[in-house]
Amino acid sequence: MITAGIDMGLEYVKAVILKDGKVIGRGRGHSGGAARAANAEAAYDGALKSAGIAAGDIQKVVSTGIGKHDVTFAGACRTESVTAVKAARFLCPDATTVVDAGADETLISTIKDDGNPGEVAINQKCAAGIGLFLNYMADRLELSLEEMSAAAPAPAECRVSDGCVPFAELDALSLLNHDAAPAEIAGAVTLSAAARAASTINDITVPNLRSVVLCGGLAKNKAFVKALETLTDIAFHIPEDAEYAGAIGAALIAAS
Amino acid sequence: MKEQVWETRPLECWAKAKELRAEWQANIAKDDKIVGQGNTYFVDWQEAFPAIRIVEDNPAGSMIQAKSSPFARKCRLASEIRGWGREICGYHGNIWGSQFLGYDENGAPFARRHFVVPFPCVCDSHAKRGQQVRDFEPVPQWMSDQCMYLGPRDEDREEAMNEHKAYCTLRQINDIERVFGQKFDDEKMVEMIHSGHVERECRSEISRLMAQTVPAPISVKDMYSFYTLGFLTRIDPQKNLDFWKLVRDEIKWRAENHIAALGTERFRWIEAHPPSWHFLKYYRYMEQYGAVCLGSQYTSGSGDYKGIERVTYPEDTPLLTREDAIRYSDTPNAREPVGFKQDEYMNRPPYGEDVLIKFARYNQANGALLALWRCGVGCTLTRKEQAMRLREAGFSVLHYEGSQPGDRTDLDEKRFLNQLDNWMESQGMQKLES
Repeated sequence: MITAGIDMGLEYVKAVILKDGKVIGRGRGHSGGAARAANAEAAYDGALKSAGIAAGDIQKVVSTGIGKHDVTFAGACRTESVTAVKAARFLCPDATTVVDAGADETLISTIKDDGNPGEVAINQKCAAGIGLFLNYMADRLELSLEEMSAAAPAPAECRVSDGCVPFAELDALSLLNHDAAPAEIAGAVTLSAAARAASTINDITVPNLRSVVLCGGLAKNKAFVKALETLTDIAFHIPEDAEYAGAIGAALIAAS
Repeated sequence: MKEQVWETRPLECWAKAKELRAEWQANIAKDDKIVGQGNTYFVDWQEAFPAIRIVEDNPAGSMIQAKSSPFARKCRLASEIRGWGREICGYHGNIWGSQFLGYDENGAPFARRHFVVPFPCVCDSHAKRGQQVRDFEPVPQWMSDQCMYLGPRDEDREEAMNEHKAYCTLRQINDIERVFGQKFDDEKMVEMIHSGHVERECRSEISRLMAQTVPAPISVKDMYSFYTLGFLTRIDPQKNLDFWKLVRDEIKWRAENHIAALGTERFRWIEAHPPSWHFLKYYRYMEQYGAVCLGSQYTSGSGDYKGIERVTYPEDTPLLTREDAIRYSDTPNAREPVGFKQDEYMNRPPYGEDVLIKFARYNQANGALLALWRCGVGCTLTRKEQAMRLREAGFSVLHYEGSQPGDRTDLDEKRFLNQLDNWMESQGMQKLES
């Protein structure tokens, strides 16, 4: 059976083609606000091309992510908690919890023995713990995302608020005005983002941290992962397809 | 195909409720009485002053937001430029703004207030809110204290608090007689206490039927169309009593005949707060999953879930004097917390089991939806802890950052509905086909 999953995130749309339990194609692009529907099709086309098959070969398409309803060619939509859990178990069969850290949302779900979601926690509105904040700060600090990812932990005197994005930004600007190095400030804002993500992990009442999968776009940010590991004392499993996890989960649901 | 499990039909008391609500709304605009601004739930005595009418700040402020978002924004801006922060309760920001602007949401002149009686509240910010109305004209302000305490029951302390509270009210009545030249009708007060008791019994019975009957004969969304009538939106006392008997009888009949509020009921959930009145859509949205809301301690007329022995009346409480009447109507606040805010302070660990757990069990609920909003009614410090305790007790819980009941500013509709989808789907539920 060949199915497709489309994860329409706030920043990026990811598409995956799944054939008999194996990922055979991937596509990715900017989700692009009002142009989401067209960009979803472009990512889907990219995935089909990389799989070497045609749209007619796909038996079912399921979408997920904040813009899932904009994927007009999807046969069904599923929420992010369900697709994240499905993907986590697929990518790491002994996963007990999944942390999906993306551009606009940090979602945590424990995974029941039967593979279904257990307790779910989602970050609140404050943007401090999400990928968009780090993207935005990269612009302010005039650093690339790769440089942000490579940022070393900031020294103790270089700290920004971890409670509020406007305060964090003001703190960062203040540090810049005091001649702190942008790379050090990058370390500070990354720690701030990780602290917010850690607080969402702490919202889980009955944690099951034996095997925790970290997926979503922020899983690629090494500085973020290191900071989160330090704060939570969790050694995350980061699958190679971490960024495509939502799409993989959607494709798995389409196949089920 | 839709999974229709139980028979359902519209409530027959709708029409009457709409008529009474319209009557209340029309009364606000009238200029035929001495008008106080306050909360009639805590001003039982108003009916004994025939020439006085209280305009209820909470529902009036809520109506401004519900009826016109642009006008509500204008009102809050008018409040903000006079120094009131955005973190003020939206009800009050709206109604003060309307007062500052000089007209209401219909363009009619803002009905002049002659005095203000802010309601006593554990959050203790209402005295300040009353000050705004007091200083505007200026007009007199009267206020009772909120009597409550934490820890083991102390009957001596309780009696002293009750006496103090009764004294506050008696003084208000004396002052109003003096300032406005009005005569307080003691017999009318006793009559109101009797009819109020019958009304509360009706409400209690309805809440009991909601909680104990599967399928629920009425959902809280429907109940919200009625529940303010009588105590938050004061109408003719006899009409009010007749109405609540009508509702009770209809709900009782529905429960006996298994007529469901939601024909597809398969998930029962509770809240801990009044809703965003301008966005009641989420109740209907949840119904797509077969999920019915049973309300919160805020709306429940029944204290049964607390396991409290009900105070009986009138057999054991003779009301021979004004003092007797006022003691009776005032003291339940100290004798046992009646409000949801007091509940959350007093009925929780370490003082006892969390009241929400009791409420969830009483309502045979599967889960709870708990709001985290930054201000206004329902904004409570203990919400996160309540969620943890509910989860430990086996209930599924979703937190969401919504908009406070009287202010739409913080509402992120798409995100909120997406969170509801996540909550339902993570429990293996999907929308039922319509």
